[in-house]
Amino acid sequence: MKKIIEVKNLTKQYKELKAIDNLSFDVVEGEIFGLLGPNGSGKSTTINCILQLLSFESGSIKVFGKEMMPDSYDIKQKIGVVFQEVAVFDELTVYENIDYFCGLYIKDKKLRKEYVQYAIDLVGLNDFVKFQPKKLSGGLLRRLNIACGIAHKPKLIILDEPTVAVDPQSRNNILEGIKKLRDDGATIIYTTHYMEEVEILCDRIMILDKGKILASGKIDELKQLANIEEKITVEVNDITKEQLSKMSKLKNVEDVSFNQPNLVVTYKKGNNNIVKFMDYLNKEKITYTKIFSERPTLNDVFLELTGKDLRD
Amino acid sequence: MFIHNLKYFFKIIFRNRMLIFWTFAFPIILGTFFNMAFSNIEKNERLDIIDIAIVDNQLFKDDEVMKNTFKELSNKKNKDQLFNTKYVDLNKAKELLSKNKVVGYLLLEDNNTQVVVLDNGIDETIFKYVVDEIIQTKEMLPDVIEYELLNSTKKDREVNINEMYSNINKMIQEDKSKIKDISKSNLSYTMIEFYTLIAMTCLYGGIIGMSAINMCLANMSNKGKRIEVSPICKTKIILSSLFASFIIQLIGLALLFIYTIFVLKVDYGSNILAIILLSLVGTLAGLSLGITTAVLVKKDENTKIGIMISTTMIGCVLSGMMGITMKYIIDKNIPIVNKLNPVNMITDGFYSLYYYSESNRFLFNVISLVIFSLFLILISSIRLRRNKYDNI
Amino acid sequence: MIIFKTFLKVLNKCKFPLILYTTILVFVCGFNMQTSENSLSFVESRPDILIINQDEEKGITKNLVEYIKENSKIKKIKDNEQARDDALFYRDVNYIIYIPKGYREDFLNGMNPEIKIKSTNDYQASYADMILKRYLKVANTYQSMEKNENRLIEKVNKTLSKKTKVELTTKKDTDSIEKMSFYYKFLNYSILAGSIYVICLILSSFHEEKIKKRITISSISYKKHNQVLLLSNLLLSLVVWMIYVVLSIVLCGKIVFTSYGLICIMNSLIFTLCSLTIAFLISTLVNNKNAINGIINVVALGSSFLCGAFVPLEFLPKSVLKFAHILPSYWYINTNEMIKDMEVMNINTIQGILLNMGILIIFSIIFIILANMVTKKKLKSN
Repeated sequence: MKKIIEVKNLTKQYKELKAIDNLSFDVVEGEIFGLLGPNGSGKSTTINCILQLLSFESGSIKVFGKEMMPDSYDIKQKIGVVFQEVAVFDELTVYENIDYFCGLYIKDKKLRKEYVQYAIDLVGLNDFVKFQPKKLSGGLLRRLNIACGIAHKPKLIILDEPTVAVDPQSRNNILEGIKKLRDDGATIIYTTHYMEEVEILCDRIMILDKGKILASGKIDELKQLANIEEKITVEVNDITKEQLSKMSKLKNVEDVSFNQPNLVVTYKKGNNNIVKFMDYLNKEKITYTKIFSERPTLNDVFLELTGKDLRD
Repeated sequence: MFIHNLKYFFKIIFRNRMLIFWTFAFPIILGTFFNMAFSNIEKNERLDIIDIAIVDNQLFKDDEVMKNTFKELSNKKNKDQLFNTKYVDLNKAKELLSKNKVVGYLLLEDNNTQVVVLDNGIDETIFKYVVDEIIQTKEMLPDVIEYELLNSTKKDREVNINEMYSNINKMIQEDKSKIKDISKSNLSYTMIEFYTLIAMTCLYGGIIGMSAINMCLANMSNKGKRIEVSPICKTKIILSSLFASFIIQLIGLALLFIYTIFVLKVDYGSNILAIILLSLVGTLAGLSLGITTAVLVKKDENTKIGIMISTTMIGCVLSGMMGITMKYIIDKNIPIVNKLNPVNMITDGFYSLYYYSESNRFLFNVISLVIFSLFLILISSIRLRRNKYDNI
Repeated sequence: MIIFKTFLKVLNKCKFPLILYTTILVFVCGFNMQTSENSLSFVESRPDILIINQDEEKGITKNLVEYIKENSKIKKIKDNEQARDDALFYRDVNYIIYIPKGYREDFLNGMNPEIKIKSTNDYQASYADMILKRYLKVANTYQSMEKNENRLIEKVNKTLSKKTKVELTTKKDTDSIEKMSFYYKFLNYSILAGSIYVICLILSSFHEEKIKKRITISSISYKKHNQVLLLSNLLLSLVVWMIYVVLSIVLCGKIVFTSYGLICIMNSLIFTLCSLTIAFLISTLVNNKNAINGIINVVALGSSFLCGAFVPLEFLPKSVLKFAHILPSYWYINTNEMIKDMEVMNINTIQGILLNMGILIIFSIIFIILANMVTKKKLKSN
């Protein structure tokens, strides 16, 4: 597989603070690469370094197999970036904004018109082309922000938290759009601190904290890093302390916690844990209304790795 | 690309109401205020007809010289009319004076000619001076009569009373003094106000240039990040935006010129090419000030606009916008301040075109403006050439 | 206590525009209120004359120069023509007299030499013209009779020394009152620009959509909240006003403690309150902070220019004056003008001033009513 981005030993220092610490990773063609980490973990800094906006102390960055420089215009031509902050002109309409930024890449007017229309369709802003950004809701504004970044059909798309503060409907629209872009042949780097998005979207992820890689790989691989295998949640009316301590001594049980009315039992490993546990409950005559089992989430992984919640 | 960016930059600026207000509308509004406030000032500074009273007692009635002189000076048909005279009794005169209806009254008493006024002032002084003049003429009279008598007797003929009388009259009344006024015709100092207005507009225009730079730089705005990751040479896009700002500034300036020339009747002198040249370099100075503010000040856009506006305002005060005496005093006593003040360079350029229509001073101002602009552009371009940032 | 603390914080945030407008006030007033001695005997006005003597300073020429010097303020200007022309343009001198080379000889020979002058054509220049003509006329008359230069000079001087007695009737300190009047007239700009700016800034941040909503849902009633706002702004304006009054004492001296000064202070207090209502109205009409900045500049500069804060009222065109009647500033400034001309203070003379103050109060009431109407309308539309 072709490597689209190769980062080697990247280090960036802000005065006292080491924002990126000897970071190395690759992104391969056609994948959606998720960059995950809490606020301030160095995601945006990494991206700004890749784009040569920020100066860095050491390391090398190759994009499309070539050394990336501030004046590598042939490389930049193939990149589309959607920044975390909404970067559009308040004075221009939706259409004009997309056309302006697209015009920085595509000189041919006819082709540009086509591309702009494609972008508008993709993010579903057809009803708002004549609107000024001020009149748009937060979600629509985010969609415009994305359209401005990807209208020129880039081969590599970098999305830096494009779904911050977005309503669920817009979020779905955005995520669908990103998938579509990948299906059209683009490689995508996706930064976020929402792990649900990553789970839906990404082929491969890298978890960053304090400028260092905590873990990276496919989602399933990462989940194995977590010590738990299965989490069973039971809704019960009441339960005694004795019963709880008895449960924690069951086979393969890692931890038991009770938070009225939810009883959560985590298993290290084992098969058919839920059936066994239901049997156990019946045997102990504990009545329950609801029971379900979950596989561990990335949040559990992150919690496991850092001891803190990913969402801050 | 150059054209593409140009087109959109125009759209962006013309839709930014605040920018358009400060650079287009505000100067025109201010100009209108100036015109309303100053249009009558110089007219009012001409010598007006002075209201006076004369106590109409017997002594005055007997004094031919006094009576005739005031009659002549109060004659409405006389183009040199100086006084509007009321002949009244003493009590009435006092009353008129206390009510401020007259600046003073003349009272003739035995051996004493007296002018009574309320206050010190130029009108009072002129009133007094005219009375002085009459007394002095009377003082000359014996000398002149003696001279004429001597002359007549010298000629060994009969003294012709009529001829002598007319000779004496002629000697006393006739003004033989030859005075030639060589002042320049363009003396209207309120013009300076309008020149500072033009200068202010040139520099306020720099705000547009500042927005242009902010727009293009990644460490200034998010839009700048977008532009810097695009495959466009940064220099090219900055030049395109600055060119657009320059054009917009010129449009604003042209509107102001049209308004001040045709509506407010401001006189810029007759050298149109020089006016255009000065406007171009003035606009350039504003633009370069905007660029420098954008590059060197690390604050948000509103603060930068605030800095631009206050710098320009201080420059305007120093070059006479709030009273033209300020410009003169600075020019005279601390000339270096105004030689470094871009507002004054522009103002003084227009002043020398209007008043001197002479080229040396004008050229000095134009060259100063060019140096000022180049210096600022040089400083900013050093910063602008950096294409990576330590911090965004 | 908490209100006071918040108040100080707000004041601290607004210090920049306040300092700016106060500095302009002090600067311009200090500049324009240069002291001239006040005296109770008549002092002649003297035009500023510049003499360029290209002749030798002897005899009749010297006498001419001395006579002009006696009757004018002689200015020293740099010895080049451009400096002189500048001086004339900026009215540093009103009149320039060029005495040509060989003037004395030509004059004594009865050739009546020509004298060149430059003039600003204002009343000072006209007076200077009179002075020069007077001398030349007397000198010319005697020249035809007297050939001896010394005797000629003696006769000319004797004639010109005859002067009229002048009696001055005023008893009041006109100069100080004029200074104070200038200060309080200019204050129109500082109060309008400075305090409106600050108040609008505070009010507009309270009127911002999100904060407005937060206030609407809080337990304080909307009317009560408006009252508190108005009250705290009133406090702010009063503090600013007091600073300006203290400043006037510093700049104008003890004249402020006379009845004239009292009128000025009262008048400025009423105007400050009127400005507060203007600010209230503007901030209810406009929500955009940037737009407010522009509007304030136009309102403050406009009122100041059109109502005679910068330019004396009598110099304004009649049409402008008529228009100015609809602006509060006109009535404020008019009072300051009246004080200047008021010879004695009694019920009759003070009537006009009370009328002006009354009109200012009516203006304030109208502005408050308008502001309330706008607020009501906006509430409904939301």
